Amino acid sequence: MTTDWDVAVVGAGTAGLTAATVAARSGLRVVAYDRMAPGGQLVNLTVLHDFPQPGLVSGASELMAELVAQAAAAGVTMNFAEVTRVHAGAPPRLSTTDGEVTAGAVLVATGLSAGRLGLRGEEELVGRGVSTCAGCDGPLFRDRSVAVVGDDEWTADEALELAGLASTVTVLVPGEPRWSAARAERLAAADRVEVLTSASVVALRGSGVLSGVIVRTAGGERELAVSGLFSYVGRRGPAGLVDGVPADAAGRLHAGSGAPAAVGPVFVAGDARAGAEQSLAAATADGTRAGEAAVAALRPADGGLNLRIIDPTHGVLPEDEGAAAGAPAGTTDWTQVALFSNSKPNATELLQGMGAKLRAHWDLPELGFASKESASVPADGDTIDWLAQRYRMVLVAAGD
Amino acid sequence: MELEKRGVVAPLVVTSTFLPLVQAQAKARRVDPRVIVVPHPIGGLNEAELAEKIAFAAAALLALADEARGTS
Ligand SMILES: Cc1cc2nc3c(=O)[nH]c(=O)nc-3n(C[C@H](O)[C@H](O)[C@H](O)COP(=O)(O)OP(=O)(O)OC[C@H]3O[C@@H](n4cnc5c(N)ncnc54)[C@H](O)[C@@H]3O)c2cc1C
Repeated sequence: MTTDWDVAVVGAGTAGLTAATVAARSGLRVVAYDRMAPGGQLVNLTVLHDFPQPGLVSGASELMAELVAQAAAAGVTMNFAEVTRVHAGAPPRLSTTDGEVTAGAVLVATGLSAGRLGLRGEEELVGRGVSTCAGCDGPLFRDRSVAVVGDDEWTADEALELAGLASTVTVLVPGEPRWSAARAERLAAADRVEVLTSASVVALRGSGVLSGVIVRTAGGERELAVSGLFSYVGRRGPAGLVDGVPADAAGRLHAGSGAPAAVGPVFVAGDARAGAEQSLAAATADGTRAGEAAVAALRPADGGLNLRIIDPTHGVLPEDEGAAAGAPAGTTDWTQVALFSNSKPNATELLQGMGAKLRAHWDLPELGFASKESASVPADGDTIDWLAQRYRMVLVAAGD
Repeated sequence: MELEKRGVVAPLVVTSTFLPLVQAQAKARRVDPRVIVVPHPIGGLNEAELAEKIAFAAAALLALADEARGTS
């Protein structure tokens, strides 16, 4: 069966770019469609919370640049067209604003639409007070009042970002907040932020530009004078995009990232998938799974383990001034080799197995061993010091 | 990655699922680590499956280790 592409990815956000890279790295011909720019939701964000790990922050533009660079290096072709329909079949066929193409497998990673309340006049006020991007539009509301609608972690982060600019931020939570205790504490500590629970917006006020919202709470209805309204509810998945794939109430597709949909070699990854966690870490993991599953679906015959060494070059990149790669200052030599386990199930066994082969290969004495107390804590400084001083080479179990 | 910064040869063994995360971390720390990628998962494998992964991962390790020793 010849197709235009081995893999067509719909949506070049975090999940789609990750999936495309994984598939292209194993030699498949991959196209990634995006109706806007690559990066997806990252385009709207400045600071990323809880990425790459819970509790850490990182920069959105850095992650975006990295995802795009990796995809380009792996040989992914980008196409800035909208996919309007995926016709499941053998092979699947995609209708796009740039014509029709066939692909051996399709990965749907369209994310969710922007938040909407579904109120009269809302669309006309988008860009005139109604927004879904604190990072982009926040500065327009310096020293003015804004309302934020939503209940999740990211709503809380957006409200906190706006609190640095706006005169007041009223967070309207439709039911009860789902954000963490840490977010709740930060919101409570921010003196310009007020959180109202069981609050819904029932109408918008303003002609030409937003001037207020009507808020309904248990206490009745009242008008809140705001010039900005940031909404993170009502975000919808791509229901109907793929023939025969059912969706949940929010339009997110009921299909797996690791297993094909019942209709054929179609995989769904990231926020567009029903039940997805809606975080960058989850989108990355999901994208990887989908990319691997597409490879497996297209290459059932080689079934074996595909093991690669990525970038056997090493050391510290030149921008990092002051630090130099190379031989350590100590007096270690190549007989001094240790294993450092992250304590995840089977990690130690894997390292010991690999270490035993290296011992035999290099005819080494006993190997050193260290482990983290648990997989979820960072390595402690003393252990790193000890390893750095005593060993020339340390094999590290970093993630599974 | 901290070890590699200090001049210790420190290959990271990661499963394919975690590779993007490790790469993002490496980028944030401005290091370009040696990485041995093994197909996910590792946890929950039986002895024979684990032995198979060890054999493949070890082959990569030996090549990488020889290369590191040869160039230092
Ligand atoms: C306000 C906000 C703040 C957030 N902050 C954080 C945070 O700090 N940390 C964190 O971990 N997570 C955060 N998240 C969640 C995180 O951004 C998402 O989970 C993640 O971006 C999902 O990635 P994705 O690839 O599934 O979708 P997206 O990033 O949404 O990418 C989807 C892409 O598909 C394209 N597309 C859609 N339909 C089509 C079509 N038919 N044809 C072609 N292209 C199409 C879109 O243009 C888009 O580029 C936040 C979310 C929001 C809304």
